[in-house]
Amino acid sequence: MSTTPQGIHSLAFRVMRLCKPSFHVEPPFRLDPSDLFVGEDIFDDPLAASNLSSLLSSHVNKSTDSSDMTFANRFLLHHPSDAMGFSGLLVLPQSFGAIYLGETFCSYISINNSSNFEVKDVIIKAEIQTERERILLLDTSKSPVGTIHAGGHYDFIVEHDVKELGAYTMVCTALYNDGDGERKYLPQFFKFVVANPLSVRTKVRTVKETTYLEACIENHTKSNLYVDQVEFEPAPYWTAKILKADELYPADNLSTGEIVKPPIIVRSGGGIHNYLYQMKISSPGSEQVKAKRSSILGKLQISWRTNLGEPGRLQTQQILGTPSSCKEIELQVLGIPSLIILDKPFSVHLNLTNHTDRELGPFEVWLSKNSAHEKFVMFNGLQTMALPAVEAFGSTDFHLNLVATKLGVQRISGLIVFDTIEKKTFEPLADVEIFVESD
Amino acid sequence: SLGFVVVALDEPSPTIDPLTNQFGSLNDLSHELASLQDLAMRGSWRSILDKVSRARSLDLLTKPDDHLIYLSYNVLALTKLRRFSDASNELDSLHDFNSHHYKYETYPKLYHTRSGSMVPFSLRFIHAQLPFKLGNRQEGLDCFYLLLNFIRQKIKDKGIHSLQESVKIWRKREVFVLHCLIGHHLGAKEFNVCLDLIRHLINHDYLDPVLVSKLGYIQMQIGDFEGAKGSFHRVETMLNERKNDDSSALSEVEFRNLVNRNKALVFLVGKDYVSAVREYEECMERDPADVVAVNNKALCLMYLRDLSDSIKVLENSLERVPTVALNETLAVNLCSMYELAYVNHSEIKRTLSNWIARVAPDDFDASCTRV
Repeated sequence: MSTTPQGIHSLAFRVMRLCKPSFHVEPPFRLDPSDLFVGEDIFDDPLAASNLSSLLSSHVNKSTDSSDMTFANRFLLHHPSDAMGFSGLLVLPQSFGAIYLGETFCSYISINNSSNFEVKDVIIKAEIQTERERILLLDTSKSPVGTIHAGGHYDFIVEHDVKELGAYTMVCTALYNDGDGERKYLPQFFKFVVANPLSVRTKVRTVKETTYLEACIENHTKSNLYVDQVEFEPAPYWTAKILKADELYPADNLSTGEIVKPPIIVRSGGGIHNYLYQMKISSPGSEQVKAKRSSILGKLQISWRTNLGEPGRLQTQQILGTPSSCKEIELQVLGIPSLIILDKPFSVHLNLTNHTDRELGPFEVWLSKNSAHEKFVMFNGLQTMALPAVEAFGSTDFHLNLVATKLGVQRISGLIVFDTIEKKTFEPLADVEIFVESD
Repeated sequence: SLGFVVVALDEPSPTIDPLTNQFGSLNDLSHELASLQDLAMRGSWRSILDKVSRARSLDLLTKPDDHLIYLSYNVLALTKLRRFSDASNELDSLHDFNSHHYKYETYPKLYHTRSGSMVPFSLRFIHAQLPFKLGNRQEGLDCFYLLLNFIRQKIKDKGIHSLQESVKIWRKREVFVLHCLIGHHLGAKEFNVCLDLIRHLINHDYLDPVLVSKLGYIQMQIGDFEGAKGSFHRVETMLNERKNDDSSALSEVEFRNLVNRNKALVFLVGKDYVSAVREYEECMERDPADVVAVNNKALCLMYLRDLSDSIKVLENSLERVPTVALNETLAVNLCSMYELAYVNHSEIKRTLSNWIARVAPDDFDASCTRV
């Protein structure tokens, strides 16, 4: 990762990524003496049961005395939970690892004088360079480092919130006077790439007045993400409410009354978690229609943690609703007779709603004849029905007189509503299934 | 139902003739067991292999349970030396742990009226643990869960026959296997399973402050800071409510250090490294051999930009309490620090590596120094 500098320098930069340390976990081969010295059922023998315990307890590893020069701790269990192999020992990050958008890049930088003489008037700078910008992380020219003696080093820690994707270069530079009094310049380059930790897929569905937004968060990193918060910020005039399923398993109460909330863990390399939001227009009238027409629903703000609480935070771009979620005309079936007899007329009760802010109609309604299959449900009588105009945001009820010419499951399909003034055709009704019986 | 509480024996113990006491010393239990145990305590696993081999070839082992105990030490030594396939093969040579060949009642001339299995429980444990080292994690998990069922059946059986000492021992083994399982699930980052298993123990009256602390560590790991603080608070309460005759496995020093280390972790995760160092120093004052405090303090010093002192802390502990401080994790951390502090770090790492070679037990994994 570091490019070798030209010439011979007394100084050199050493760099270590300083994300949070990790717990060391390794289930060990550590035993209890009673599981090694004797057979497992020996305590069934009353003689053994009463006499072995004193012998065994004298060999249990009770010793934490540092003068006890044995490696008993690697062989015997000192405490029952030693078997877990999780003592609380922390390990430094062992590799540079991957860096993701939304995280904080933190690095330990040490500049070492590996020569045999002092270097003077040292000025150190550290800078992050991306395609778009250069960010200064450290500049000691105002508070000079001064002198680094032979074999000495000067350390600093830098942090940078990662807000851009792609290639990064951390440039560390040192200006110094070497042993011969020569002013030297040492640049060192450390390269890394920032990737996207998550992707968010959305689906928008509209049911009557309510819009549902489903967001699926997928983890593309190599470690688990623990979701802290996912907040939806709705666009103006929208309100959003998160919908949660009822808990399958009610919150576990421990004997001290502690309420346990299961964590949301999104597993590494492709794990997902879904969120469902119910959205409504918050203001009525013409603003409502404007909001619907603009189709911007809002943004998701996601904050998460990785190893030992290491935080990350991202915001999505604007999430769009489907423009066609706004219908001008809506037809609803209010009633169908429960018994439909072959060749006998029946009446279907419908409601037509005008969702626009202007009067629509008068209308003509008919069943289209252009479909691929033969029709077995048709208007009884006049093949076109007239409907009066409907005012803005209003609705009207009407009945269609139909007849079915074939038994079994049939469909009322291809219902056309035609606005005679605007000369506009709507097909606002999905196929309706009916069951036709014989007399 | 029985909780995990020590049950005192009310009936008087059968009288022993001191001249024929079968349980006076380790050597009464098995041929030269004291010597085997001493080698194991010193980590001289190669010597154990030699001793077992010699005892076998010279036919020094007269009884079947002697053979089994020696086999246990041999298999354990092979695992310690990371010869996992060899260990597995030797275990396989027993064919079936539950065979009548390994029951006391099969040899009434040797064991008189004693009955039951003479297989040391360690063999069952090692048998379940080995697959993980051989890359068969699923097999290992299955083995442990089967072992758990086996143990629970034993507890039932012993209970029915009122064998209270046996019930105690098998309950201890049940707790042991549960801890092994928690460790394996933890290693695979299956945190929800770990939390369930730990809560199962706690909800069945197994109130171990160390276990509750580890619950807290896991909660910290997954970002449930409120939950973790609750767990640590609970541990402090357990310390404060502790009675003087408490038969808990923790000494006063250990308990206090546990509480300090828990506090330190909260500070550390909150990036208040100065306070974390202060807590760890309290631990080290009480017990200079508290290697978790030593190691973690050194790491905090690094995060405080004090690489030189972090190295000193680790080096000092190796000098003062070598048998406790010398572990692979501490060595890995020290080597990472060396690599950062020195441009030419191979020399200093080699010095460390040579020292380790002189002092360390046979099972120390020297690859941790990356020399």
